[in-house]
Amino acid sequence: MTSPRTGKPGSGAPTRRRVLTGAGAAGAGVVAAGLAGYFARPAAPATAPGGVLAGGDATVPFYGPHQAGIITPAQDRLAFGTLNAVPGATRADLRDLLRAWTRASARMTAGQPVGEDAQPYAPPVDTGEAAGSPVSRLTITLGYGPALFDHRFGLAGRKPSALAQLPPLPNENLDPDYTGGDLCVQACSDDPLVAFHAVRNLARIGMGVVEHNWMELGFGRTSTTTASQRTPRNLLGFKDGTRNIKAEQTQLMKDYVWVGPETDQPWLRRGSYLIARKIRIFVENWDRDYLRDQEHVIGRAKVSGAPLTGGTEFTVPDFAAQGSDGQPVIPADAHIRLASFEHNRGIRILRRGYSFTDGIDPQAGTLLGGLFFIAFMKNPGQFIRLQRSLAADALNEYIHHTGSAVFACPPGLRPGQHWGDTLFT
Amino acid sequence: MHTSGTSTRHAAAATARPTPDPRPRTRRPRWAPVSVAASAAAGLALAASGCASSPGPAVSAAGAGQTVTVTIQLTPQGCAPKPARVPAGAVDFVVANKDADAVSEAELRTADLSKILGEQENLTPGLSGGFSLTIQPGSYTINCPGAARQHWDFTVQGKATGPSWTSNPQLAAAVRSYASYVDRSTADLISHTRAFCQAIDAGDLGQAEILYPRARIYYERIEPVAEIWGSLDTAIDGRWENPVTVASQFTGFHKIEQLLWEDNTLAGARGLCAGLLKNEQQLLTLVRSAQYNPLEMASGATDLMNEAATSKISGEEERYSNTDFPVFQGNLEGATEVVALLQPYLQHKDPSLLAQIGNRSAAITALLARYRASPGYDDTGYVEYSTVLDAQRRQLSAAVNALAEWLSKLSVQVSSG
Repeated sequence: MTSPRTGKPGSGAPTRRRVLTGAGAAGAGVVAAGLAGYFARPAAPATAPGGVLAGGDATVPFYGPHQAGIITPAQDRLAFGTLNAVPGATRADLRDLLRAWTRASARMTAGQPVGEDAQPYAPPVDTGEAAGSPVSRLTITLGYGPALFDHRFGLAGRKPSALAQLPPLPNENLDPDYTGGDLCVQACSDDPLVAFHAVRNLARIGMGVVEHNWMELGFGRTSTTTASQRTPRNLLGFKDGTRNIKAEQTQLMKDYVWVGPETDQPWLRRGSYLIARKIRIFVENWDRDYLRDQEHVIGRAKVSGAPLTGGTEFTVPDFAAQGSDGQPVIPADAHIRLASFEHNRGIRILRRGYSFTDGIDPQAGTLLGGLFFIAFMKNPGQFIRLQRSLAADALNEYIHHTGSAVFACPPGLRPGQHWGDTLFT
Repeated sequence: MHTSGTSTRHAAAATARPTPDPRPRTRRPRWAPVSVAASAAAGLALAASGCASSPGPAVSAAGAGQTVTVTIQLTPQGCAPKPARVPAGAVDFVVANKDADAVSEAELRTADLSKILGEQENLTPGLSGGFSLTIQPGSYTINCPGAARQHWDFTVQGKATGPSWTSNPQLAAAVRSYASYVDRSTADLISHTRAFCQAIDAGDLGQAEILYPRARIYYERIEPVAEIWGSLDTAIDGRWENPVTVASQFTGFHKIEQLLWEDNTLAGARGLCAGLLKNEQQLLTLVRSAQYNPLEMASGATDLMNEAATSKISGEEERYSNTDFPVFQGNLEGATEVVALLQPYLQHKDPSLLAQIGNRSAAITALLARYRASPGYDDTGYVEYSTVLDAQRRQLSAAVNALAEWLSKLSVQVSSG
């Protein structure tokens, strides 16, 4: 954990940060005894190597060469918030905010509340809903959107050339209410309340400097990011992420996920690009499709997850295999074929998506839900290439991209560093 | 729904695309002009995955057996197939053009040349490609326009095999009738589009607006068939965002719709309409050579209601003109036609399913009647779709989904002949 630092609130600094400052100076000792272990774990984070402890008390180290929440074994739940700077917010505001967020995130991911004070006549520093909930491997990952590098904060010279709005892509009809954002906060945990709590509290801290742009909750992971994890299923009922890059594949991570010396912005090295896509699945239509057709759309058997060319889930698909009719066994427009690295000049991305639902379509009465796709990559061009390949995807009949955003996620921090340190210096 | 990868593969084969169509499309083709045996991996043995074998020679599901490769070298002299006689079953045609400038395609046609069963086009010197088919015994012709000798004999020997449904007279009759329905609807699409284009040529914007939905209704009846040819479907029916998002590729009905209603102009519409007609003519050529099967018919009916549920209820498809009601009606007509053609078979096979579908269809018809008007918005016989409230749309959606759900139970009935 970090000890709360005394900030230097300037004019227009967030109220929230002053509260934090107060907590550090006076509040901690007063009634902290009754509130220690907000998340029902010791204040001193007992981190495990790789953060792969199974129990709810397990934490993932906040500090490290890369931000947590990228190759961290995918947690079960997601809260994803994008925020925009409010008009009039200054460079100093943004810098102070990133410092306050760093402090709060280090605490929350260690299983501690944002602040320990509880004065009867002050609003509690922490919103409190996660009190008693195990931290459940909470990670908080920060990203900067392209617009953050416009004229407002004097960051134009720090903009990575690869960070740009995505071009129009096939099969999308983007809802402006779910598109873009100056900043993003990805909170993942095995406990939904803990993930939600993190985004809520960061937004609260940011009040006056940033405001919510859009937010999404993911209720089930759809990817594995390590070899030891069981492959989950998406709302199509198929296993998802079988061929994802795994954390153990360090060379592939280096080649396809981590920003390296190729970037024009040294501050971003060891960081990664995050692309989020809200993908609606027309589940009612999908559910009416007969089994064999569903399997041909995906290219895998529904129950076992094995490719149509046989074997078990992890058998490598044989894209060249032909049936007795002379046609490819995995159809030419099967999803796994068009998304494969074999079909895309070797390109890979690290997927880390979640199933989501926003309730019911007010016009159609059908489910508004699907896949909240998140992927990390060395360069957004990787996703663009893959998405263009998927123009011919058989699955397009059943899905539609309705939200989109791209962010540059800075590298990890050392204790004492803050998000934004490297950006602003 | 479609015949899955199988149909798509063969759709690709028939239009000779060895690799997936790079052009995006809204929906996946679900119908196959030809179709093949089940893939072993899926674990299902659907008996009805083949195609009509009558009348005339047919390309169909022969299933097991070895794949034979036939090589066709395009030369200025012709396109002799090697070998020219093969056993019935799966055949890979490998077509190559070394240096023939005037010859760029090879087609497999019926002996009377009336139907194209497979083709590889656009092979300029140095290129090669091919297509794959499962072929029934009979006499065929390899055709290569531009060569000194254009027609070459090709013979398939052996005993005819056919999917089990072909021996069921009711299913066989339903498939034959459906083929006629698709041909007829496509011909009607063309004649109504021609009238629409004439109004545009005459500078009569008001008349063009009235004729627009009258042409579209025929496309909406047979959309799952038209989608076999993905790029053609895109050219005729593509929307701005889906699949292209590139102005130069947004050229069909909906681009003209945007000009007429949103931009309130005929400028530029004339050339687009001529292109639309040309694409529809091409579609007619293709559907005339297409062959269907009961499974595809049934899943196509579900597709039509899926289509209504996702793009008509929201008003997305006819967003500029608000003429969603008549095209919705087209989807419904296409689906109920399938049921009507399968009725003699279903009466014995599953009368209660037939009754349920009948009830659900009647419910939609009754709901639609509430929005009828005379002459209605743009003379469509219906009110303007944008006046339909969310609560009313939900009612329509629920009725459409209920019908679609019951229609989706057809596929297993017609595939267990």
